[in-house]
Parts: sequence; structure tokens; C-alpha cells
Amino acid sequence: MEAVSADERGPWRLALRRFLRNRLAVAFLGLFVLIVLFVLAAPLWAEHVAETGPNQTHTLQKLQVGDETREVVSPAGLPIGPQWFEAGGKFFLGADSRLGRDEMVRLMYGGRTSLFIGIVSGLITTIVATILGLLAGYYRGWVDSVIARVLDVIWSLPVLLFGIALGVSLAVGGLKIGPLELSGGSIWVPIFVICVFTVPYMARPLRGEVLALSEKEFVEAAVAQGAGPLRVMFAEILPNLASTIIVFFTLNIANNMLFEAALSFLGAGVQPPNSSWGSMISIGEELLTTQPLLAIIPGTMILLTVLALNIVGDGLRDALDPRSKVRLEAHAGTVEPEGASV
Amino acid sequence: MKKSLAVFAVFSLAALTSIGLVACGSSDSGKEGGTLDVTYASFPDYMDPQLSYTAEGWTAMGEVYIPLLTYKGAEGKAGSEVIPGLAKDLPEISDDGKTYTLFLRPGLKYSNGKPVKASDFAYAAERMFKVNSGGSPFYTGIVGAEKFAETKSGGIAGIETDDKSGEIVIELTKPRGTMTNELALMFVAPVPAGTPNEDLSADPPPATGPYVIVNSKPGKGWEYERNPYWEKANSKAMPDYPSGHVDKAVVTVVRNPQTQVNDVEQGKYDWMQNPIPSSRYQEVKSKFEGTQFVVRPTISTYYFWMNTRRPPFDDVKVRQAVNYAVDPAALERIYAGQLVGTQQILPPGMPGYQQFELYPHDMAKAEAMLKEANPSDLDITVWTDTESPNNEAGEYFNGVLQEMGFETKLKILNADNYFTVIGNQSTADLDAGWSDWFQDYPHPNDFFQPLLAGESILPTNNANFANVSDPALDKEIARLGEQQLGPEQEEAYAELDKKYMELAPWAPYGTRTLNTFVSDEIDLDSIVYNPTFFEHLTSFQFK
Repeated sequence: MEAVSADERGPWRLALRRFLRNRLAVAFLGLFVLIVLFVLAAPLWAEHVAETGPNQTHTLQKLQVGDETREVVSPAGLPIGPQWFEAGGKFFLGADSRLGRDEMVRLMYGGRTSLFIGIVSGLITTIVATILGLLAGYYRGWVDSVIARVLDVIWSLPVLLFGIALGVSLAVGGLKIGPLELSGGSIWVPIFVICVFTVPYMARPLRGEVLALSEKEFVEAAVAQGAGPLRVMFAEILPNLASTIIVFFTLNIANNMLFEAALSFLGAGVQPPNSSWGSMISIGEELLTTQPLLAIIPGTMILLTVLALNIVGDGLRDALDPRSKVRLEAHAGTVEPEGASV
Repeated sequence: MKKSLAVFAVFSLAALTSIGLVACGSSDSGKEGGTLDVTYASFPDYMDPQLSYTAEGWTAMGEVYIPLLTYKGAEGKAGSEVIPGLAKDLPEISDDGKTYTLFLRPGLKYSNGKPVKASDFAYAAERMFKVNSGGSPFYTGIVGAEKFAETKSGGIAGIETDDKSGEIVIELTKPRGTMTNELALMFVAPVPAGTPNEDLSADPPPATGPYVIVNSKPGKGWEYERNPYWEKANSKAMPDYPSGHVDKAVVTVVRNPQTQVNDVEQGKYDWMQNPIPSSRYQEVKSKFEGTQFVVRPTISTYYFWMNTRRPPFDDVKVRQAVNYAVDPAALERIYAGQLVGTQQILPPGMPGYQQFELYPHDMAKAEAMLKEANPSDLDITVWTDTESPNNEAGEYFNGVLQEMGFETKLKILNADNYFTVIGNQSTADLDAGWSDWFQDYPHPNDFFQPLLAGESILPTNNANFANVSDPALDKEIARLGEQQLGPEQEEAYAELDKKYMELAPWAPYGTRTLNTFVSDEIDLDSIVYNPTFFEHLTSFQFK
């Protein structure tokens, strides 16, 4: 193979190489991929193994396990526990509640909902925060003041309490602001709530970076060449923010999944009969003493997903901005030559 | 109107009173005296007899404010018998059914030592209107009451009293078969003239019963002490009314029912007023039934309503199909054994109840009927509240409708404002949903007039969620409502029940059971329970 010098490699290839050297990050990326595949397989499992949908109730259904007949919900209202493969995969993790819905099917579909909300709200947050950060940091003056004050106001609110209030009211009545219309119970309601409260956490640091970048020579050169504000912001400054934005994006997904879980646990997120991992913990909480797995399993799924995204996010940060790692390690007294990590 | 367990308690108060009249003091094996430690999951809506309209409030004040009439202390249908309270006898009713005459028992005193006067009844009725009590609609049939409700001045012309003889005469605008029951509600329990016309929850009015409320701290708790004038005066005037066994009771609000269960198990509290949470129900039942725990029937109906004014439920065949699809057996499990399946308007225990089953569960038949009806609009919204297991019942109903072929959207509202929202006709998409009804008083009219009569359809605070109005049935409700309840009327109400179920504005699925859970220090067998007024405080006794 032809040897390629470091100078000839593009920055993205170098970053990829650095990321692949981080075994922990790669392992957790693999775990995240597995989780995604798991939830994507929901329709297959539901149709071919469980033979039921995520919201289908089986309160009075009986399972035939060998010679034994087992009730999905006992007359006392206790849902059946995990059956693993004893009933051919049906009720693999048991039933979710007195409604007798298949916990495994709801876990898979609920994961799709949780991941969808996490990724989409993460994406929207990232786009909105990037635009606001660019505008505030580049224009400064009154534009910066207005954006900063609005973000300050949102930042100063008790996020969870306000999110619950907003989530509950929107879950009932929906939202209509001009062309934006959300019906109550829509999955877009928690996405909207999450985005409103997480944008400041990304927009503020991005604004700081834009402020610093706009002082750089390459920006002055672009302006001197007659580039307009849009071109300077999006063609000159934005590419230099790419690494920060990518890291933020992964962390946003993780944080937003936790936010969604909290909202759903408190009844202000995903609305029944649809499930998310947060709402499943809420349902399982009532049966914590008799069927603890109903809360533990979706909780574990959230834990693993958020952990994986955080570690992947850290890995991406180290790969895309090795200097930050050096800075961090300098604090810990374990400085390495910068080239060593390249 | 009672929309929840909380509201349900209103009747319990009166019932508690009556229960005590008959049954308390019957246990002679237990100890006398002591302090009863009680826990409620929430503070009552009001600690004021004219205002309270919840189960907690009526239970809390049942031994404190005795109305002119009250209910017999017994379970089931026997407990629906109205008996004299502060009045000497049941009312004498004129031949035209419009004049009720009662006499106050002589020698009665309030806990502050002032005499109870006949005019205090008129004062209490006026106070009820002045504070805009939720119970005032029961009494607008009194001559001049509607005008008084508007002007709040000039007195109620239809109530005449004579303090000397103790005579109380009530004139009605038209005969009202439920008036006797309504006189047994605490809304019109006498209070001293001059009692402020405001919410007195923090400083409740003087008592007429064996106990008086002291140290009321809204949101936190209250205490009972013996009424100092009970032994001196009232018990002599009402010798049949129980005096109670404990000397004192301390009530603490503990908002977590799981904690309440643990505390009663450990003996920290002697009684939890609210029911056991579903998640602990079977555990407590299996461990303590018969010794510290007992299941109690209620006179209630749990049902799914269908809006008969909007497609697709404007078609009776569609509504009947839904009745075939709903399976009370499944809902019994969803309520974890705390519900007994029925499919009719009137619940067991209510006068006029005759069991029938028009719609035995048959999903295939339901689907076929829906196909035959072929409604043009299958897109519906299903409503329920957040309170467990009503939310799960709503989810079950939503699932059943989907299985039948409807396109559904489920809306789950906070229980605090659920009935306000679905009772407002301007709320969009009120197609179908969950509801329950606990009797205000043991009279079948209470299940038809407010819930199913055409004249009960209101733009706001509507309780006729199905918006059903059948002229012939409306006429029958009005006719029966003017008559005193007797065997003939009970038969007519049973027929009305069947006719409404043929019209199928609801898919009823059961009647709720409640429970009493006490510590091992308490004599469970001595506790008197009435389906209208629940546990009677005067019957609690230490072993």
C-alpha cells in the first residue's frame, strides 16, 4: 500500500483515524448501532414472534405453555412475568400492565419513539442553536443582545417544571402558531418542548466560538474580498464550527432522550397508548414491588443508549479537536505530544 | 353530582350519620375511649357543611353536622332508607306533594351551647345559596329559591319556620319525589344563625353531632373532640343516635397511599379513609381480609359514553355494536378486582335495580353490526382521565374501538379538570369517553335526571356527556321525578333502565367496590358502613 503522509490526509480522515483508535468509543458506537437495529426490528418481532401490536391489549388472553395454561393478566390484575421463549417468544418480557400488552413489543416500539424524539429534537436543536449562535456572534450589537436575552430567559426557567407544564397543556390542546400546528398527543409535542428548552445550552457556547472566529484573519480576508455576511457566516465560520457542532449533536441526542424520558415518566411527553422508554418506566413503577423488570428493563435501555452516545460524543470530540484533549490532560498532568494522538 | 370517589363521599357523610343512628354502640366487646389516628390522602374540598361535595368532606363531617333527616345505618339497599335526624319524624307531605312539614327535636344544642332553632334550617339553606354551593341545584325547586339564588337577599319564601314549636314548612313549586333524600344531605344541615357566609374550612361552624372539629389546618389535617353539649343535651333528644366510642380522633393528610398502607400495617395509623391503591390491593386483601380489611360495595356505575349528536354515534346500531364489543370481564381485571361487571345504568343496591344483560360480549357480532351500520365517519376521539385505573379503562376502550375498525385518537386529561373539559360543549371532538357516577342519594332518579335527561344537556358543566335526549324517556323521567318512590316507581325505573340500554347512549361496564383497612388495634366488625356515607366514625372502637 502506498504510504500517505499526514499532510496529505484530509482533516476528516485524520479525525476518523483518531476515532477508530479510541476502542472504548468504537465499542459503544457498536452498542448504539445494535440498539438501533434492535428497535428497527420491532415490526418483525411483533409480526412473526409476538404476533401482536404494541398497543394491542390481551387482558383475558391465556397462554398455553406445555400442559400449563397461564393467564396474561391474573384475576387479581397482576400481569404475567417474562416468558422468554417458553411461549414461542410471546410475552418474552411478560405483559406491561393490567391491559396485558406485550412488554417486549412495546420496548422495541418505545425505543423507536425515544430514539426518534432524541435524534429529531437533537437535529432541530443543533440547527436552530447554530443559526442563533452565528447571528449573535457575528452581528453582535442589538442582534446579539436580543438573542442573548431570550436565551437567558429560557435558561433561567426551571426546565423540568416548565417542560411538564408546557407538555401537559400541549398534550391536551395541541399548539397552533401561524403555520405551525401540533395536535394534542402528537409525538411532535414533546419534540417541540425539548427543543425550546435545550437550544440555549448549545447556542450560548457556539456564540462564544463565533465571536472568537470572527476576529480571525481568514474572516477579515473574506470580508476584504467583498464577501457578504451570509457567505462569511456559512462559508467561512460554519465549517470551522463543524467539529463542535457534531460533538454537541451526539450529546444533544443523549440529553434529549433523558429529557423525553423524564417528561413521559411524568405524563407530559409521549401520550398513551403509544409507548416510549420513559412512559414504560412510569407504567412499571406502579408494579415495582411485584414486577420490577417492567421498570428496570426500559430504564436499562435508556442508560445504555445515553451512555453509548456520551462516550461516542467524547470520542468524537477527542478525534475532531485533539487539542481539547491535550488541554484536559494538561490539567490532569498527563500531557502527551500533540502529534501522538494524530 | 358525583363524578369521582371524592364526590362520592358527600353522601357518605349523611349516611355515616344515619348509620350511627341505628348501628353504633352495638359492639360491647371493645374498649371505650382512646384516640383514633386516621389518615386521609387529601384534605376535603371544604370543611364546611354547606359547601363540601366530596367523599372526603362528607365522611369527615358525618358525625359533626346532622341534617334534619338522614340514612339508616346498614349496607346495601337497607342503607337507602331515610330516617329522622334532627327532625322528630319523617316529613309530612301534603296530598299535592308540594308541602313538606317537619318538627325539630326539642332541646338540641350546638357545641357552643346555643340552642338549635328551626330557623337555623332556613339560615343554612340561604347560606348554601349565598356561598354558591355545588349542592344548591338540589333545592331550587323550593318556592323562591331560584330568585334567592340570583339576588342572595330577601330570604327563601318557600321556607317557613317557627322557633317556638320547632315547625319547619317547605313549599315546592312542583312535586319532587327526591326531596326527602335531599333533606338528608349535609348541604342543609342546620348551623347557627350568623355563621359567616364564607368558606369556614379553617374554622368550621359549631357541631350538632357527637363530635366537634377542632384544629382544622387545611391541607394538613384536623382533630375531633367530643361535643361538650352532646351528652348534656343532644344525646337525650336523639337517644338512638350513637355517641361514639373514641374520645378523640386525629386526622393527618398523607398524600402517598403506599405510605398510608405501610403506616396502617405498622399501626402508626388506625384507619386509612381512602381506598387501597390498586398495586397493593391484592397483597393487603390476601393478608388482612376479615381481620383488618373488608371489601365494601358502592352504588356507582362506571361507563363509556358515546355522543349521540355526532357521527358515528348518532346511529343506535353503532352504539349497540360498541356495547357488544366492551367486555366487563376484561375491565374487572383492569380494576384489579375492585369492580363488579354490569351492563346497565342502575347499579346493584339502587332501588329499581333489576339485573339484565342486553349485550353479552361478542366481538364478532359487534364487528358485523358496525359493518352493517356502515358509518361514514370512523375517525373518533376517545377521552379519559389520568387517574389509575380509569386511564387504563380508557386505553382499553380505545383499543376495543380500534379493533372494531374505528380510527381513534386517545386524549387523557388531568383528573382535576377532566369533567370540566368534557362537560364543555365547545370542546372539540367530544365523541366518546370514560366516566363514572356515584349516587348523590339512594334514589334512581339520581342516575337518570342529571345524566340522561334532555333538559340536563348544558353548554358548560354538562353531565349528559352522551347528549342523549329522547322525548318519551325524558317525559318518563319527569313524571317519575315528581312521585314518591315506591314499588310501582321502582318497577318503572327498572323499565326505564332497560329502555335506555336499548338506546345505548352508554356502554356501562361495572360498579366499583371500595374497602376499609384498619390497624390490628381496631375492631373491624364494629365498623358501620353505608353505601351512601361509608364508614361511620362513631362506630370505630379499639379492641
